[in-house]
Amino acid sequence: MNKLWKRTLAAAMAGTMVFGLSACGSSGGAEGDGNLVFMIWDSGQKSGMEAIAEAYMEEHPDVNIEVQAVGWDEYWTKLEASAKSNSMPDIFWMHSNQMYTYADAGILADCTDIVDEANYSEISVENAKGSDGKIYGVPKDKDTIALLYNKEIFDEAGVEYPTAEWTWDDMTEASQKIYDATGKYGYMAYSHDQIGYWDFVYQNGGQILSDDGTKAMYTEPATADAIKYYIGLQQNDWCPTQEDFANGGASELFFSGQGAMYYAGNWDLANLCATYPDMNGKWDVTVLPKCPDPAEGDGRAVISNSVSYATAAEGKNHDAAMEFLEFLGSEEGQRIQGESGVAIPAYNGLEDTWVQTFADQGYEVNVGSLIDQFDYSVKYVNNASRRVWEPEVEQTVLDIYAGNLTVDEGIQQMQDQVTEAIAEQQ
Amino acid sequence: MKKTKKLGQDNLWGYLLIAPTVIGLFILNVYPFVDTIILSFCKSGVFGGREFVGLENYAEIFGSQEFWQALWNTVYFCILTVPVGVFLALIVAILLNAKIRGKVVFRAIFFLPMVVAPAAVAMVWKWIFNSEYGIINTVFHLDAGWITDPNLVIPTVAIVAIWSAIGYDAVLLLSGIQNISKTYYEAASLDGCTKLQQFRYITLPMVSPTLFVVLIMRLMASLKVYDLIYMMVGEGNPALSKSQSLIYLFYRESFIKGDKGMGSAIVIATVVLIGIITAIQFVGQKKWVNYEV
Repeated sequence: MNKLWKRTLAAAMAGTMVFGLSACGSSGGAEGDGNLVFMIWDSGQKSGMEAIAEAYMEEHPDVNIEVQAVGWDEYWTKLEASAKSNSMPDIFWMHSNQMYTYADAGILADCTDIVDEANYSEISVENAKGSDGKIYGVPKDKDTIALLYNKEIFDEAGVEYPTAEWTWDDMTEASQKIYDATGKYGYMAYSHDQIGYWDFVYQNGGQILSDDGTKAMYTEPATADAIKYYIGLQQNDWCPTQEDFANGGASELFFSGQGAMYYAGNWDLANLCATYPDMNGKWDVTVLPKCPDPAEGDGRAVISNSVSYATAAEGKNHDAAMEFLEFLGSEEGQRIQGESGVAIPAYNGLEDTWVQTFADQGYEVNVGSLIDQFDYSVKYVNNASRRVWEPEVEQTVLDIYAGNLTVDEGIQQMQDQVTEAIAEQQ
Repeated sequence: MKKTKKLGQDNLWGYLLIAPTVIGLFILNVYPFVDTIILSFCKSGVFGGREFVGLENYAEIFGSQEFWQALWNTVYFCILTVPVGVFLALIVAILLNAKIRGKVVFRAIFFLPMVVAPAAVAMVWKWIFNSEYGIINTVFHLDAGWITDPNLVIPTVAIVAIWSAIGYDAVLLLSGIQNISKTYYEAASLDGCTKLQQFRYITLPMVSPTLFVVLIMRLMASLKVYDLIYMMVGEGNPALSKSQSLIYLFYRESFIKGDKGMGSAIVIATVVLIGIITAIQFVGQKKWVNYEV
């Protein structure tokens, strides 16, 4: 009996190991000795951030900045744990997904004094604000979405390259012709909000959230029609299914010459050029096709998001961190970032530094055309309860794709999910 | 009098020596366990701060289809991995115990998956099972969506889980088999028993205590499956809702949505489930586990 009891206890102890999962976390803090830790989530931008840090350290020999890049998922787990224990990295990136969560909890330092709003693009400044309208980060960059097309496949099918005047109809017609002529995929519409149906919704004159972020707008006809249109693209032979995308992403299909077009964020372009040097000159980018018959507006829109640099409200190296933040937001700091080629600086007038890098590297992609899109950009869809509704809505979209829900049921469910999340937040 | 005092001192030393382990256990296991139970009755803020809400979290998870689907996914995964996995491990253990050349090498090979990081295992298998470029579909001319077809995903993950665990279980069972005295087998063969009868009437009963331990461990590990699903299926896969386990659901609630209270409720429900199944096994073992040597 005694033996049995011991074994039971051992089994129970093993059961408690489940909780090991919730007990992990680590600190990234440093002591107040001029050593600053700068945490980011994109290893592709590490060298760019290091270049800025080096330029700063040259002027400030007493400061030492270490850039740490961790994966996206791990980044937010780490940041959350370090926020709870007040041991956050001295400087870190803040994504607009999380801006409200952190700013509203009083975790981020108020940066109003070091940010001159006039210097930066409006969207970047808006994304650096908390729910109370104060600025809690230094605008880092601004992004946009591009239509990538494979010139070789277009030539093979005898279809003319996409132009800035293209509409959705032109894109689907070209896709059909390409599929008929070559058997390859046309436009590859994968499940995504920012790089997918959101753009279509706003081009059609619809909205995901009302202007003040307090109401879900999925069931509005302009919104619902565009979502139906986007998800319906998958019914065409020339579009891969979501199962296909789970086996190989759109960029893999594109660069292995199996698909002719897809949307990608501008932040991916420099890495794509570097990853596929053999494809240089065989593909190009242009602005997103517009909606031919929008319910409202001129059919032009593109979702634009941005990242901010931030520091903790009560960090150990608060003053040193604020000084470096100011440098990150300065023209010089933003210029170095633009020259690293990965992100378009938030600072007005520095867009060309990013464009120029591509030419300097010998990459034959016409990224300059993308800059025009900032004239009609729409701020990334966001409100304080986004963290709750975003994963739920994403799941619903996948359920529609998988056929578990009809499009109408799905759109209603998204409407309910967002409405409920907003109600709970208040 | 003197004797009891000495005994007391001995006890003190004893407590002192186990203190590091016990303290560690309390800080790392018992305290989080109790705290998780408390948290499961609370609505939590993202950065701490909690408000008691009674059974609200439980009411919500038991009322959600997602939870029941995840529960079924987990149970289905266990049904596939535990009996098949442990049975195969037993066969491997018996084979590794046989007189064959280079069995040390075979033992090492079977144990190898245990040494490899689960994330690496999952990534390699993910490519093997890839329906476009994977070696399985290519070699056998199949068109199966191993990691995207909702009906196939759990069996696929189960295959990888069995493959990963078989070596470890086999080594445990092997040690059990090697503890069986040779004299039983000698006596049995003198009496004219076949190999199959020897297995049935000597090996199986004698190895049953080890088998029981392996069974319990495998079951608990399977009920807690998370990493394989995270790596092989992952966010954005249309088959995710038909393949996410309870712990995966816990991860999404706690760390993606940031609702630690709800996450804790899911995890406590999982612990209760593990407890019930383990209790059933302990009652059931009386029927088949043999502790007489």
